[in-house]
Amino acid sequence: MPRRFGPYGGAFVPETLVPALSELEREWRTARRDPRFRAELHRLSRTLAGRPTPLYFAGRLTERARGAEIWLKREDLVHGGAHKFNNALGQGLLAKRMGKPRLIAETGAGQHGVATAMIGAALGLETEVYMGEVDMERQRSNVLRMELLGAKVRPVTTGQRTLKDAINAALRDWIASVRSTHYLLGSAVGPHPFPSIVAEFQSVIGREIAKQSRATFGRLPDLAVACVGGGSNAIGTFHPLRRTDVEFLGVEAGGYRRHGAGAASLAHGRPGILHGTYSYVLQDREGQISETESISAGLDYAGVGPEHAWLKDSGRARYIAVHDDDALRAFHWLAEDEGILPALESAHAVFAAVAEARRRPARQKIVVTLSGRGDKDLEVVGRAASR
Amino acid sequence: MPRVADALSLARSQGRAALVPYVMVDRARTRRLRSVVEAALEAGASALELGFPFSDPIADGPILQATADRALSNGTDWSDLVESLEIASALLPTAVMSYANPFWRHGLDHSLRSIARAGASGLIVPDLSLEEAPPWIAAAGRHSINLVLLAAPGVSERRTVRLARATRGFLYLVARYGTTGTALSAERIDLTPIVRTAHRAAPRTPVLIGFGIKDPATAAQALAYGADGVIVASALEERFVRAFGAATVRRVLGPIDRTLRARGVSPPSRPLLYRTRR
Repeated sequence: MPRRFGPYGGAFVPETLVPALSELEREWRTARRDPRFRAELHRLSRTLAGRPTPLYFAGRLTERARGAEIWLKREDLVHGGAHKFNNALGQGLLAKRMGKPRLIAETGAGQHGVATAMIGAALGLETEVYMGEVDMERQRSNVLRMELLGAKVRPVTTGQRTLKDAINAALRDWIASVRSTHYLLGSAVGPHPFPSIVAEFQSVIGREIAKQSRATFGRLPDLAVACVGGGSNAIGTFHPLRRTDVEFLGVEAGGYRRHGAGAASLAHGRPGILHGTYSYVLQDREGQISETESISAGLDYAGVGPEHAWLKDSGRARYIAVHDDDALRAFHWLAEDEGILPALESAHAVFAAVAEARRRPARQKIVVTLSGRGDKDLEVVGRAASR
Repeated sequence: MPRVADALSLARSQGRAALVPYVMVDRARTRRLRSVVEAALEAGASALELGFPFSDPIADGPILQATADRALSNGTDWSDLVESLEIASALLPTAVMSYANPFWRHGLDHSLRSIARAGASGLIVPDLSLEEAPPWIAAAGRHSINLVLLAAPGVSERRTVRLARATRGFLYLVARYGTTGTALSAERIDLTPIVRTAHRAAPRTPVLIGFGIKDPATAAQALAYGADGVIVASALEERFVRAFGAATVRRVLGPIDRTLRARGVSPPSRPLLYRTRR
C-alpha cells in the first residue's frame, strides 16, 4: 500500500495518532487477504448496499449534447443515496474487526454522515458525526436522516463552519478517543493509510464500469468523468482504470462565477499540508488555509486527495473547475432529460461530461460517475431558481 | 543568548526543573511582548515557546484555537513572527511552535533561516510525525535549529526510543490523549515508563511535559513522572484573553515555579566510563 503518490501523501499527524494509523494499516493488510472479511464485504455490498449499480445510457442527454454517448454510473442508487456507503461499509467492518465500539465521521453534504450512521446502526456501533453549522443549514434533510438512524450530529462552529472544520473537529475527537474509536474518514484524503483504504473500497465503482462497459458496448469507455471534492468517487472511478488508456477528467467546484477560486484545489491551489496529507491546497501566501465556497457542500473543501495531486502532476488525469450556475444547469438537464435528480456535487461532473460530449464524435463513449442523488439539494436548487 | 537546548541542560544539571511558557505571536500584542517575556524570565522561565498561528490547528483545544483565530484576524503574518522572535530571544532562549504548512509554504530552508536569524534556536511542529521528519531534521541542521519531536501516550517503547534519539534540544512529551488545554480526563495516564524509556535512550536529552499543565498540582505530577520540566500554554493564553501583560504571567507562572523549585529534578546520570579513542 503506497504511503506516497509521487511526492504527495504521507502522514503529517501528531504522534498520538500514529499508533492508531499503524493499527489501521496492519488490520487492513490482513483483512484484505482474509477470505471471510472479503466474503462479508461482498455479501453486504450486494444485500445491503445494493451493488452492482447499473451503467445507464443517458440517451436524451446524449441528444442534447449531440456528440459522444453519455453513460451514467448510477452510484446515486447505492444505499443512502451516494457512493459514500461503499467506503463506510468497508471501514465499518474494519472497525468491528479492530474491536472499536465507536465511530466518528466528518460530513459536508451529509452523505458520508448518513452512510456512517447506516453502517453504525447495522453493525451496532455508536456513531457521532461532525458537521459544520453552515452545512447543517443547507443540508437539513440529511441531519434529520442521521438522527433518525441513531447517530449524534455534532455541530461544528469554528472556522467557516463547513467540511474542513468538520474534519478538524473529528481529528481532535480522535486524538482524545483513539483507543476506543475508529475515525471513519469519508474521502480519499487525510493521513496514510486513509487515502489508500478509501480508494480501494471505492474502486468497486471503476471495476464495475470496466466490466459493465465491456459487457454493454464491448470495450472500455474513452473518457471517465467524476466530480472531485476530497475526491473519493473520482479515485474510485480512476484508480482501477489507471493502467488502461481511458482518459480521466476530474471536475472541481468553481464556486460563484465572479468570485475567486471556489473550492478548486487542483486548479488553483499549491502543494501544502492539510489534514495530515501533502497535496494541493487552497492557501494564501502565508500558508494559511483559504476559505472556500461552492453551492455543493460536498465539494466545498480546500484540500484534495494526494493521489489526485499525483494524477494531475503526472498528466494521467485532467482537472477542471465548473461554476455553481453551470452545475445548476446540469442539474436541470438531467432532471428533465432523464428523470434523474443528481446531487449538486455530481451535477458538476454532468456539466463537464456534456461539454466534453459536444466536442467528441458520436462513436466515443463517456462514463460519468453520478456520485449521489439530489433529494438533499431540493431546497438549495429551489432557492437558486427563484433568484 | 544561550540556546534552548543549553538552557534546559543547564537547569537539569543544576537540579532545577525547567519552566517553559508558551505565548502566541499576535500583531496586536507585539507592543507588550517585551514586558511579558521579562515577567516570564523573572517568574523563573528557562526558555520560551513562541507559537505562530495556523488556520487549522488540529492538535489544539478551544483556547489555542481561539487565540490563533484572533491573531490571524489581527493580520498576524511571518513578519510578526520575526519581530516577536527578535524581542523574545533577546531575553530568553526561544523555540518556535507552529504547524507544518506555514513553514512548507515559505520553503523549509527559507523559513528556518529566517527564524534562526531572528534568534530562534528550536522548532516544534506538532503535526510532524517521525516518518515525515527527515527533510525537516536535515534543514534544521543546516540552520542550527533544534527540531524538537513530540512523544505521546500509546506510542510504543521502540518508537519512544527512536523519538528520544532523533529529537534535538529536548523531547516534548504530550501528557495525555487529547488536544491542548482541554480538561484533564478522570483517568491519569502514568507517563513514568515513557519518561524512563526516553531517558535511557538519550540520557542527556531533557524530557518536558506539556498539554494540560495549568497549576502547581499538574506541574508536580509531571515531575513525579520523572520529567525534567513543564510547558505551560493554554493556562496562560486563557488568562491573556482578559489581560496580555506581566501581571498575568506572574499570576500563572509564580505558583508553578515555586512548586518546581521546591521539588527539583535529578541531574542526568553520568555514564560510568567515558570511552576515549586511542
